[in-house]
Amino acid sequence: MRVATDVGGTFTDVVYFDERTGRHGTVKVDTTPPDFERGVISGLHRAGLDLSEIEFLTHGTTVVINALTERRGARTGLVTTRGFRDVLEIARGNRPDLYNFYFSKPKPFVPRYLRKEVAERLDHKGNVLIPLDVRELESVAGFFREEGVEAVAVCFLHSYANLSHEMEATRVLKELLPGVSVLPAHQITREWKEYERTNTAVLSAYVHPVANTYLDSLERKLGQEKFGGRLFVMQSNGGSATVRAARSNPIAMVESGPVGGVLGAVALGEMIGEPNIITLDIGGTTAKCSLVQNGEVRVNTGYKIEHSRTNPGYPIQTPVIDIVEIGNGGGSIAWLDEAEALHVGPKSAGAVPGPAAYGRGGEEPTTTDANLLAGRIDPDYFLGGEIVPDMDGVRRALGRIANRLGAGVEETARGIIRVANANMVNALKLVSLNRGHDPQDFTLVAFGGGGAMHAATLAAELNVPKIVVPTDCAVFSAWGMLQTDLRRDYVRTRVGRLDRVSPEEVADVFEDLERAAAAEFAEDGVGAGRLIFDRYADMRYAGQEHTVKVRFPAGVVDPEKLAEATRRFHEAHEKEYAFRLDSPVELVSYHLAVYGTMKRPQVAKLKRASRKIADSIRGSREVDFDVYGIHRADVYERSLLEPGTELFGPAVVEEPATTVVVLPDQRLVVDDYGNLHIHLR
Amino acid sequence: MAGKPVDPFTLEIIKNSLVALGDEMFYALQRTSKSPIIYETLDYAVGATDARGSLIAQGNGVTGFLGTLDTAVSGVLEKFGKEGLQPGDVIITNDPYGGGGTHLSDVSLIMPVFYGEEIVAFVANKAHWTEVGGKDPGSWTTDATEVYQEGLQFPNIKLFSRGEPDRALLDLISANVRLPDMTLGDLWAGVAALRVGERRFLDLYRKYGTDTILASIEELLDYGEEMVRLELARLPRGVYEAEDWIDDDGVGNGPFPVRVKVTITDEEFVADFTGSHPQVAGPINCTWTGLISEVRAGFKALTTPHLPTTSGMFRPLKIVCPPKTIFTAERPAPVSTYWETKRYAVDLVWKALAPHVPHRLPAGHFLSVCGTVLAGTHPDTGELFLLVEPLVGGWGAGRDKDGENGQFCVGDGETYNIPVEVTETRYGVLVEQYAFHNEDGGAGEYRGGKGVVLDYRILSEGAFLTATFGRHKFLPWGMAGGQDGSRNYIKVIRRDGGEEVFGKVARLRLERGDLVRLVTGSGGGYGDPRKRPRKKVAEDLRNGYITPAQARNLYGYGVDRGYAL
Repeated sequence: MRVATDVGGTFTDVVYFDERTGRHGTVKVDTTPPDFERGVISGLHRAGLDLSEIEFLTHGTTVVINALTERRGARTGLVTTRGFRDVLEIARGNRPDLYNFYFSKPKPFVPRYLRKEVAERLDHKGNVLIPLDVRELESVAGFFREEGVEAVAVCFLHSYANLSHEMEATRVLKELLPGVSVLPAHQITREWKEYERTNTAVLSAYVHPVANTYLDSLERKLGQEKFGGRLFVMQSNGGSATVRAARSNPIAMVESGPVGGVLGAVALGEMIGEPNIITLDIGGTTAKCSLVQNGEVRVNTGYKIEHSRTNPGYPIQTPVIDIVEIGNGGGSIAWLDEAEALHVGPKSAGAVPGPAAYGRGGEEPTTTDANLLAGRIDPDYFLGGEIVPDMDGVRRALGRIANRLGAGVEETARGIIRVANANMVNALKLVSLNRGHDPQDFTLVAFGGGGAMHAATLAAELNVPKIVVPTDCAVFSAWGMLQTDLRRDYVRTRVGRLDRVSPEEVADVFEDLERAAAAEFAEDGVGAGRLIFDRYADMRYAGQEHTVKVRFPAGVVDPEKLAEATRRFHEAHEKEYAFRLDSPVELVSYHLAVYGTMKRPQVAKLKRASRKIADSIRGSREVDFDVYGIHRADVYERSLLEPGTELFGPAVVEEPATTVVVLPDQRLVVDDYGNLHIHLR
Repeated sequence: MAGKPVDPFTLEIIKNSLVALGDEMFYALQRTSKSPIIYETLDYAVGATDARGSLIAQGNGVTGFLGTLDTAVSGVLEKFGKEGLQPGDVIITNDPYGGGGTHLSDVSLIMPVFYGEEIVAFVANKAHWTEVGGKDPGSWTTDATEVYQEGLQFPNIKLFSRGEPDRALLDLISANVRLPDMTLGDLWAGVAALRVGERRFLDLYRKYGTDTILASIEELLDYGEEMVRLELARLPRGVYEAEDWIDDDGVGNGPFPVRVKVTITDEEFVADFTGSHPQVAGPINCTWTGLISEVRAGFKALTTPHLPTTSGMFRPLKIVCPPKTIFTAERPAPVSTYWETKRYAVDLVWKALAPHVPHRLPAGHFLSVCGTVLAGTHPDTGELFLLVEPLVGGWGAGRDKDGENGQFCVGDGETYNIPVEVTETRYGVLVEQYAFHNEDGGAGEYRGGKGVVLDYRILSEGAFLTATFGRHKFLPWGMAGGQDGSRNYIKVIRRDGGEEVFGKVARLRLERGDLVRLVTGSGGGYGDPRKRPRKKVAEDLRNGYITPAQARNLYGYGVDRGYAL
């Protein structure tokens, strides 16, 4: 038995799959802050699972991101190079909120008096200019003890080039401060840029005790329930990690939840032969998009938390799947500004009071309310029939905006859907067109509660030829977590011009990383035979700042491989930036992605019961397809659609947690696994 | 000129698409540039105007380019007329005294967008190129006396004709700049961004049709005006004045008085700089475009800081200044460090209005970009390096907050400092400290933000320093009884121990082992320091933001025992 549990903001999803019996299913229960593990256990119980039969349990958790955004981490100190304790507070000095002269920059997670400097200095090549003064660490440790510091980050200038000072300082501090989490920066990142690296180390230390307490408690509770299998934790890089590995580097869990859907899309793509995918995950408050090319996700280390158009945020130099998130979901509120211009989101009605349709006091219209009024969501089947929507409330909420605009309520509902769609189109462009990818070459995989409702229009807008709505699309992220391998990423900055470095030097760095990886996986009990190494290089034209990640050719590094890497860089650069240069090319960072392969569950094909398509029609109703007009559309029950079924829009396919909208002239085909393929031409 | 009425939802969607178009061009330019001043400092702007030159979208990396794009398009229209422009043309200009011009380093590229036979829009950008030739590396300097010393001038000419680049012009540029690879890289990045904008524009026209787009543009401009007028109505009516002094012009003259009179009526916001000093001999002269840009930035900060920029929002704004002043210099006045003066334009308006709009305007900040050029040879490679960077400093305190520590001046924006590790790798200097300093200044009930000290140890044989640090003699102003901030300065500590201090310096020869100490000012304080809660003073002491002597002397900490912790 394999199980994945995905703890989200509102719901905890459980997906289980037994390969022997073919038994599988999904469960949604409430998330239970602050003791998230309770929700996990109750979900497993609700699914009727015997925990002693679970062999693999994969877990996606928001515990790290919550600790960060709610500032509920440890009291943290920083040890750094003399002369540079203010690097953490100066940050990069940038201000995205350009015209706000009353701007407040983000506060560092360690106040100045807990940022201690010690004598030591390396140069950019890793040479020691000033040896580490170990005695100074004693007084630092004494001060931290007095101050009740619970976690310490250690980050020295140029430590990516030479670990010795950080290692030594960490060893000494651990000795002097038993029970305190001491994290050296190099354990998390070996890339340059001292602010980013220092902040990464600080945030890692800050969440380290919280994350460890949580994992302890989860393991203990599972143990009490006789769970004897292996527990894995989802990582931001799209792989899973053993609990042991997750403990030592908890910041890698920062996007533990959202990556599940992207991985699910990759696995789904393999099943149905679609290597190029744009994912669209629409939940209650946000829409998330990501791009998969040739079956590969984009992973990079430019991640920031709390970053927005007005906030510089906090960088975390850890590999994270590139996901663009915007404040547009089912619960996003539609509002008019003082000049009567209509906006949708980013404010959300959340679960409480929720959309006006919930009848829990929500007065402002949301995207969900608009979808109800437009007939896209069936009022008689709202949330699987669990709630009878307050349609009067919906009309009232929409009416307030309609009156101010001098428009009809129906017209306003359509307008809100159009504006929400336009916002989402822009997010989809960010992951595709803005990076040189033409959406025409991709399949849109839509999931989350609202993905399938909006996908048809978005795909038409972007000329995407096909949409796939997976089975159980409302818990697709958890399903994706069942499909992962163990993964670790190693990124090391070592700047060199490709016309000046020798193949041996390049090989040395990669081999060094591979040895480190093999050793760490061995500690997790994963032998070399199960490891797959993927080499990447972050490259750029000499003089540029931004790098482009390219797949570095596998095999023994020789001059041809270097030439091939250079050729790939020119191509990738031209694709992303529309030009290439004759300038020399630099290799800035070496990136090794290492997979510890795991057995994946095989999804069985559905049986055909030779039902007639008419048997799956629940009825028909008037549906507003915005710019495609108002049409009477047949309404299908998804669970009754058989593999091989073909139907044409205008149509609506319903399942308890979501609604699939098929526009006029679009063709829907059900594949052997029950996924819906919507063809646009 | 609009055709049939367009529903409000379609208008909203097109408006958003126009804003997104600005973002896309912005992103394209950043990602393709080869100059740190563009991709790190984001010293550039991109935008689009309608066929008449009204600004409909602008993406900014810094605040100071708000008046440069639409005026550049106007300049193109004046010179060529619509009939003189063909599809595929790209016009280049950096004429400081004409439309869109600031200093020669800021180069504008403008492209007409044709839909069918007709020009329907212009896309444009303006970016600070690292090198445009002239007497000094990096092209800007503190001791130029004529514009001819400051680099190549592109007087509103075609770089591309019907899609074909002018090879002769490219060769000419290449031969006249010190880092041709970087300069031409910036040029191509600018062209790439224009093409992205053109493509998106045409997508919109094809999708919605000319009438709908034109109606949306009108609506967008009117919307900007309406939002601004709503905010304008909340500002206090009246006449507000401020004056200040600019240190010097870099060639031995100064200080120079500058002043503003702001008049706010029901209908207008007038900023009148009459009475400011005439243009000067050194390169701190600002020209008309620079003045417009700064005042627009201040006006936006006062009214609608988060609204996408259009010409519509500036309709109620009127700027008055006689010709040939330090804000409106004319040829051949040198202008390469014009920003030292243009910042004063926004700072004067700010100073005049801060007491009346305290929720949007804190006390004065360190104001100057504190621009630095360090040129030398890299000790590892023997290659020429050119370290060009602005510095972070202290911001002023406000009526309910301390000032920000170590931020770029408001004239900058989404500007990133250069990491120490990158500096040392690339430029072969050793950075000995990057930290807040504790010089006196900025005391208040709310404390001014901290300035920084940045130390460069020179490791190569022979290097040159050019730097311009305004507010070296006249300090960031305090507010409501708060103390003024501290000054910006450059100190060179020779390896033999000799010291020199500068506000502006040009081509100072440095030797291996010399230390260059760059110090930026702290921001002005707000309110009487003695009213600062004792708990906060104690916290400042613990954090080392103030010294024990400052706590005692400025904040009266520990003096009045009954009031101490």
